[in-house]
Amino acid sequence: MSTAISTAALTKSFGQTRALDGLDLQVNTGEVHGFLGPNGAGKTTTLRILLGLLRADSGRAELLGGDPWGDAVSLHRRLAFVPGDVELWPNLTGGEVIDLFARLRGGHNKARRDELIERFDLDPTKKGRTYSKGNRQKVALIAALASDVELLLLDEPTAGLDPLMEAVFQDCIREARETGITVLLSSHILAQVEVLADRISIIRAGRIVESGTLAELRHLTRTTITAEISRPADPLENLPGVHNLTATNGQIRFEVDGNQLDPTVRELAALGVRSLTAHPPTLEELLLRHYGDELATRTGNTRGNA
Amino acid sequence: MATATATRPPRAAISGDTFTGTGTLVRFMLRRDRIRLPAWAVGFAAFAGYVISAIPLAYGTEEELGSVVSLFGDPVGRMLTGPGYGFTEPTFARLVANGYGLYFVILAALMNILLVNRHTRVEEQAGRSELIRAAVVGRAAQLTAALIVAIITNLVIAVAVIVPMLGAGYEASGSVLFGVAIAAGGLSFAGLTALTAQITEYSRAAAGIAGAVLGAAFVVRAGGDMAAEGGSALSWFSPLAWPQQTAPFVLDRWWPLILSLGLAVLSTAAGYALSARRDVGASFLSARPGPAEAASWLRSPLAFALRLQRASLIGWGAGLMASGLVFGAYTDALLHAFEDLPDIFADIFGSAEQIVAGYLGYMAVFMALLVGVFAVLAVQSLRAEETSERMDPVLATPVSRVAWLGSYLVVTAVGAVVLLVATGAVNGIGAAIVTGDTTHIRDLTLAHLNQAPAVLVVLGIAALLFGVLPRAIAATWVIIGYGLIASTFGPLLDLPDWAYNLSPFEHPARMPLESFDAPPVLVLIVVAAVTAAVGLVGFRLRNVNVS
Repeated sequence: MSTAISTAALTKSFGQTRALDGLDLQVNTGEVHGFLGPNGAGKTTTLRILLGLLRADSGRAELLGGDPWGDAVSLHRRLAFVPGDVELWPNLTGGEVIDLFARLRGGHNKARRDELIERFDLDPTKKGRTYSKGNRQKVALIAALASDVELLLLDEPTAGLDPLMEAVFQDCIREARETGITVLLSSHILAQVEVLADRISIIRAGRIVESGTLAELRHLTRTTITAEISRPADPLENLPGVHNLTATNGQIRFEVDGNQLDPTVRELAALGVRSLTAHPPTLEELLLRHYGDELATRTGNTRGNA
Repeated sequence: MATATATRPPRAAISGDTFTGTGTLVRFMLRRDRIRLPAWAVGFAAFAGYVISAIPLAYGTEEELGSVVSLFGDPVGRMLTGPGYGFTEPTFARLVANGYGLYFVILAALMNILLVNRHTRVEEQAGRSELIRAAVVGRAAQLTAALIVAIITNLVIAVAVIVPMLGAGYEASGSVLFGVAIAAGGLSFAGLTALTAQITEYSRAAAGIAGAVLGAAFVVRAGGDMAAEGGSALSWFSPLAWPQQTAPFVLDRWWPLILSLGLAVLSTAAGYALSARRDVGASFLSARPGPAEAASWLRSPLAFALRLQRASLIGWGAGLMASGLVFGAYTDALLHAFEDLPDIFADIFGSAEQIVAGYLGYMAVFMALLVGVFAVLAVQSLRAEETSERMDPVLATPVSRVAWLGSYLVVTAVGAVVLLVATGAVNGIGAAIVTGDTTHIRDLTLAHLNQAPAVLVVLGIAALLFGVLPRAIAATWVIIGYGLIASTFGPLLDLPDWAYNLSPFEHPARMPLESFDAPPVLVLIVVAAVTAAVGLVGFRLRNVNVS
């Protein structure tokens, strides 16, 4: 499997602020890669380095086999970009902007453009200053999706879109993947990444803290188990890997580390299980583990303790 | 109570609630402008202090003022400085107030246009007004607060001008009148901007319309003041003329300020009336739908750069050509005004033909300075493209940085040359119509074209700063400001040659008074090309939009 994007030990500082602190990101060709992190973690800085708009202070970045800074122009023929906060020219219509970007990129597929305008329900005759945030976002999305490229760089592309349009967006990304397009999808909308991404990288304070398929990441974390049992839960209390056990009137609830699941379930089975639910960690829980200490200091509780 | 409130008729346009929160908003605006407003006040005090102390240094005693002041009092001088009161028996105070007063009023007008627009339409366009209006704030509170801040600011600049005059020992009555006249002139433009901010949804258009009124006011009073000493009937149609008609230290009359304040009150009232009849963020000139597809020519960086600058080029073209035509048409009035002067003036200034050639040559420099303003604004809007993050998606297409900046600069440069040639041609047509001498058309077109390299140097330096030190682009204004001072007041201040040479606009020959001289023009073109090239390289090497 070839690599569409790879960075190694990428750093970038703005004055005193260290935006990227040794970022290692790998995106394989043909995959939808979720790039998750809270605001200010360095997602946009990473994308702007990959676009050759910023020059990294140190480290290595490779995009479609080229140097994002030095080969910017030739690489840009093969990719399209959607910023998170789309600003349009006040006196150009949405339709004009879509056409302009397509033409600057060299390719222009009129049928595809019109189809996307229809699907996203955009009025292309309105001037840039009269569009709402969601409609400005649609203009940039249509311009990117209508172009014939190998790579889509999307920086929180659906901020401001309503749920209907979010669904259209997800369809479009699936279609793009089917035609072999690589997608780097930066987001903090977990549900979106969970549904779309083949692999995920979680960025925090300028470094990738976790990377892999959703299944791989889940393996690293705890499963939550709720059960109704007929005997006391005492034997579970001292098992390694069991956390936050609560028991009331035969209802128990606890979390268990992925690698301790097997012995724990054996032990549980001996307690006379009448009902059982277990659910894998959601992305929320994955993220909470990584940002737990931040949340804890911010809110004063220890909900995310690891 | 609750029922009473709910059933109150919604069309009670003016009630106590309309102004709720005004006091808080005034304090909020003063807080936001805590650097800007004191800076304006210091600027006015410094300008006044400079003029007050420089004139005695340059001219020695009041007795020696006589010959110098006649430069202010002749028709061309009056066109540039005002009606020319008090120059028959000049004193330092009279020269300060009546020779330089126009420029104090113009600065005050600009300050008021920017101030009122900043706190009204700019806020609405940015969407910040909605936050404010969603709080316990009356419908008219923002506009009222902006105008109160304008009044406070104008009073402060009046004091900032009066204090150095009193410090120099000028008469109190004239000093106070001069300061108040500047403030009143400024307020008339605050009122006009309160009106224009209601008309358009777009803050730049709101400031632009008010700026166009200011430009027209200058042109109208230039013609009126040139035609006769003390101004002619035409002068009185200009809001810029009224503060000057107070004639401080000469006639010391207050009543012309009634006109300034009357305009302020009437335009403000119109602004309130329109404001009460529209929605937040909306306007009376609403946006029309545009084409669903881009025109077929819009397919290259060059075409896109032209599309972005098209509206500005059209606006500047219309304004400059209208001014050029009027200034050209003033040529005849100038000739007649000189016929009335004693022959001794011809000995000092040369023949009437030379006076006209000197006047038209100055016009070419003046218009070139205005086109320089266009060039600096163009580069500043490219910088705004960058900081508003509109540039990122453009540079994410296969358009190189050099291609994008280069295309933009080419459009600005060609646009500047076209503006100059068109203005020169129309200026010549205006002069030809009134004098019947059609050679003016060719002469003035060439005279304006001859100044194009100076404008290109300004553009090149702005491009250099954009590429290398983008936050300092505004420093380019120094060249424009210095160029205006050197060309307009240079002869009066008796500037040495090196001081003239600092301004690129002084290097081309003063056509049509002098004949064309190639070397300085070629040097300017080389300087423009080199500075622009450094800017292009700098832009290629720097980070995009890092604050």
